Parts: sequence; C-alpha cells; structure tokens
Amino acid sequence: MRCVLPCNGLDKCAGFVSAQIAIELNKADDWELVCPVLLNQNQSPYEKVLSQGELLVIDGCNTRCASKLAQKLELKVKDKINVSDMAKALDIKLGKELVVSDATKKVQKAIVEKLTETDTKKEMTAFAMGEIDYDSFMEGKFVFKVPKQGFYFNENDCWVYVSGKTARIGVSDYVQQNLSDILYVDSPEIGDEVEQFDDCGSIESGKAVFEVIVPVSGTVVAVNEALQDSPEWINESPYEKGWLVELELTDDLAEDLEILHDSPSYLEHLKKKVAQEA
Amino acid sequence: MSESTFMGVDREKIDWCPTIDYSKCNDCMDCVEFCPHQVFEVRDDENPKLIVKNPNNCVVFCRACSKTCGLDALSFPDKNETTRKIKATRKAEKEARKEAEE
Repeated sequence: MRCVLPCNGLDKCAGFVSAQIAIELNKADDWELVCPVLLNQNQSPYEKVLSQGELLVIDGCNTRCASKLAQKLELKVKDKINVSDMAKALDIKLGKELVVSDATKKVQKAIVEKLTETDTKKEMTAFAMGEIDYDSFMEGKFVFKVPKQGFYFNENDCWVYVSGKTARIGVSDYVQQNLSDILYVDSPEIGDEVEQFDDCGSIESGKAVFEVIVPVSGTVVAVNEALQDSPEWINESPYEKGWLVELELTDDLAEDLEILHDSPSYLEHLKKKVAQEA
Repeated sequence: MSESTFMGVDREKIDWCPTIDYSKCNDCMDCVEFCPHQVFEVRDDENPKLIVKNPNNCVVFCRACSKTCGLDALSFPDKNETTRKIKATRKAEKEARKEAEE
C-alpha cells in the first residue's frame, strides 16, 4: 500500500493543487491519503501505511511544508513532487485563487502522468570499480574512512571515480556521519547536464539537507535507483553501494581533476577539517 | 580556529554568500533554521531583522538555503565566475611561490 502526503496549503493555488493530486491518486489507485494536519498531531493512524516505506510527499511551493513535516517526524520518503517546480517547468503560472482552472488541470495531469509512468530511469551502465582499500582515522568517537586511491574529491565532500568515459559520483563518509540517518535522496533526471561544482540533487536526514555538488562536468546517464528504497546505503557504504549518480564526461576531465583532491590529499584535508570542528 | 581556506584559496578572498532581497523577504526565518553554518543572524528589534552575519561561513557553491526560500529572496554569485576566480587565484599564488623559490 502506498500513501501520499500533500501539503494541502491554502495560502496559494499550488497547495490547493497538491490536495487535488492526492485526491485523484486516492480515487484512481491504491494510494492512501495522509492528512498533514492530523499527522502532525498524531502519527498513530498512519503508522501501518508509513511503515511500508512507500510515502509520496507533494509540496505546493518551495516553503516545502510537507517535506519539512516528513523530515521532522523522520519519515522515510520514497518520492517527492513539487507543484511549483512542475508548473515552472511547464511554463504555467498558478495564481493565488483556490480554483480549478485550465492551468491547474494541466499541472495536475503532468504530475499524475509522471507518477504513474512506467519506470524509464533504469538505465544502468556497466561500471567497473574494482576492490577498494580504505584508509581511516579517528576523531573523538568517530572513525572516518577514505579510499586509498582512485577517488577524487571536491571540498564540498563529494567524490568522483572515473571509469572510461563515465564518472560515478557520491558523498564522502564525513557527509554521511554528519547527517546521520539518511531518509531521502532527491536525484537529478537522466539527461540533465551539469558543470563542475553545479548542484546535482540532494540527500536529506532528520538533521539537515545536503546539496550534492558535482566534482566534474557531465551528463547524467544513471542514478542509483536502489537508494529510493534504501537511502541508508549511503550511511552503510558511501563509496560503493551508496553511489548517487553516473555522468558521461563532457568537458576536459584533466582540467576538472586538477583542482580536486586525490585520495591521500583529501584524507589530509579531512583530518584538518574534523580536528577544527572538534 | 575556523576553516580559513577553500580549495587552497583564502576563504576571505572568495565572494560566495547569499544576498537577501528585502523586498521579497517576509522574515519567516526558514533559511536561518535551515543553515547549519550560522551564516545568518536574527536581530530582535532591528530593521532589517535578518542579516548575513558570517559570509565566510557559507559553504562555497552551496545554494541550498535559497531553495528553502519559498519567496525566492536569496540569491548567490555566478558559480562559473567564482570558479574562474578561484582557479586564477590558485594559479597566481602557485606562480608567486615558484618565483619566491627561484
């Protein structure tokens, strides 16, 4: 059983649309409605359906009330949709009035179609990573792991590992320890083009949202779909099972790598960083 | 001691922090709550209430707070321009070091 948590916002039209979408999903399919007001007051009526890990969160606008509620309650989120972002992508202006219009219908239709479309994202590249040896160091009660070689890092604590023309991207052990239990991964779309140091999705825990800053330029060719069901893999295995996206390299890779840390250099950088924070 | 360099460049030399558009900001303080680096400060009984107090605490290239702002009141410098400046500074410092060694 899946469930949907809309923001139900009444301050502008986008929130109203979030409710319309939830109602449509509930009518057409096996989606259970989660009322944000009741959920905030008492989680128990929804405990069973939330425990199945199939929660869809619909935010009306970028105030992201529904996302924040899910985060506050440390709910595991399977998918998220933002009505304003979708309207923007479609070049549709949603006003303030809480009425069904051609504009709201178009946005609603696009979102429902997106949610019900068969999974087209599952393009996996054959990526060779080989066996990884780790270095580690301790600061206080925390142990930080860094691969001994082959990885490059930016100072936003994101890594890249290159195999042929493809680069795999993820976050370092430091990030996952800082965030603690990761509850949601917001992935980019296949085909998105990113430049070095652009943001490329985010990961969220109950503590914070971490923006993923890509160390190299490229086009998104794969995202780690398994993280939608198992975001905890980023905590358990940040350099292997918890990888985030794969990019087909576009720019001059050597130039991108020149301003990154290689593994030993990142280890030294990280040691200094955590010592300063201690 | 706070972290003082980013990619080998003095953090103070890198122009990267949010700019608040006070014509849009409604003092909801979501950004303050969101940012774990104490970039913002809330001042009671002052106008404006919200200011960018510690610009150098801001993580270079991170724009996450601007995404939490429903009113789009936070903006950042151009990322490519910042990258270009960091690269240029690194290059200049490297050359200066080389010269000093010679």
